[in-house]
Amino acid sequence: MPGRMAEKAVDDWFMQDVLPLEPMLTRFLQRNWRNAAEIGDLRQETYARVYEAARRERPLQVKPFLFQTARNLMIDRLRRQNVVSLESMADFDWLNISDDQPSSEATVAARQELRVLQAALDALPARCRQIVVLRKVEGLSQKEVATHMGIAVDTVENQVAKGMRLLAQAMSGRRGAVATEARRFNALRKSRDVQ
Amino acid sequence: MSSDRIESTAAEWLAREDRGLSPQEALALAQWLEESTLHRVGYLRLKAVWQRADRLSALKAPPGRAGRFPRGILRPAVWMAVAASLLLTMAGGTWLLLRRPAQVFATSVGKTEAVRLADGSRMELNTDTKVRADVTAARRIVTLDSGEVYFDVVHDDTRPFTVYAGNRRITDLGTKFAVYRAGDDVRVTVHEGRVRVDMLGRPALDTPVVAEAGHMVVTKGGETLLLNKPAEDIARDLSWRQGLLVFNQQTLAEVADQFNRYNSRKIQVEGSARKIRIGGSFRADNIDVFVLLLNRGFGLTVKDQGETILVSR
Repeated sequence: MPGRMAEKAVDDWFMQDVLPLEPMLTRFLQRNWRNAAEIGDLRQETYARVYEAARRERPLQVKPFLFQTARNLMIDRLRRQNVVSLESMADFDWLNISDDQPSSEATVAARQELRVLQAALDALPARCRQIVVLRKVEGLSQKEVATHMGIAVDTVENQVAKGMRLLAQAMSGRRGAVATEARRFNALRKSRDVQ
Repeated sequence: MSSDRIESTAAEWLAREDRGLSPQEALALAQWLEESTLHRVGYLRLKAVWQRADRLSALKAPPGRAGRFPRGILRPAVWMAVAASLLLTMAGGTWLLLRRPAQVFATSVGKTEAVRLADGSRMELNTDTKVRADVTAARRIVTLDSGEVYFDVVHDDTRPFTVYAGNRRITDLGTKFAVYRAGDDVRVTVHEGRVRVDMLGRPALDTPVVAEAGHMVVTKGGETLLLNKPAEDIARDLSWRQGLLVFNQQTLAEVADQFNRYNSRKIQVEGSARKIRIGGSFRADNIDVFVLLLNRGFGLTVKDQGETILVSR
């Protein structure tokens, strides 16, 4: 199927060219959006718009396109909320896009990348960290991790899902995000268990 | 669906993918991804992170540099492995033994146990210890859940012997060493050869410590202390292997703590008696003789209350 091929190409482009800009995008959204709780939603919506646009036609320059999309999204939302004013528009940091030095972030040196990962790893809860270590450092399969730790494969799977989200959060550019995210995750878990 | 909800569903799918999807699951995942671009980008974002995490494999313990046996000569470990595999083949299909997954070894209070692993390495478990050993043709990973283990490792340059204890990793560089873990506090005593102690996280703090014979490494949280100990102190710390507790001018309170690790009946020392200095060598399981000596030697009052033995001036 040619359609699927194209999809795979868009996926690869998205992962390799767009996602490495996440720390910058997150900071950009944080600077320009008052409600911190909505940053995750805005980021995801931005990604979806960028992805859909790329499916039609691949943008030539990724970074300006990503930020333009984020900007348009915020304007749309403000319009819908009917609270937009010239003042709040003027507050926006639109023009600073190019001031950020993205090249260094887009091509993080391997060493720095490892440090970022290590820091994210260290912030994981103890049990989750051990599972991620056995899986990613020692290269054990989920089943082997379960046998080694004497726990159910389902538990390993849940912890892998949790670890993935916490790592993503830690690397998305928000300071102190992991602890917050761990609390949020546990709260979510609890509320779902109750239901 | 909120981004939070999408993200957690995406994470569940990726964790399942990481474990291996059945054909039905693969189909269901494809459908979920088709439903919305929001699903797809949420999924791709976590997938990218999980792939990036593969870089953590760079932290895998590098091969040791023990070099006790020159290259070109078959090391004893290899001979042992060859002999073991021959034996196993003769035993008929028990090759599986070498591929056996993690084994759990445990001792209760007051008990010790010696274990030989598939690679020829030995573990001696001290009192109240739980340890998991994953020794296969491909790897040697041991996790210390609690207690203390003395390791006598058959060194293998191609297959590092790695012990995980709390947030520390101890890697054998050709050696005999003991690891004690109480919660997240870890103590490593090196008897012979060398070990490397590191943390996997905290890039700023993770300069590995290489400890040699006569060294003791004590850790708490992110801090690591390397102590140079006289041979007699190391011998004393390892005296449990002979079932002995050896003391050199330690306070009675510390001595009681040691006895209490080995016995279900606990010694409780009260008042100024806690500061009395004790030396000597005692059988770890012979608590009655010890308190009798306290009574005769220091004139202390000993009240046996069954589970607890009260000692005071």
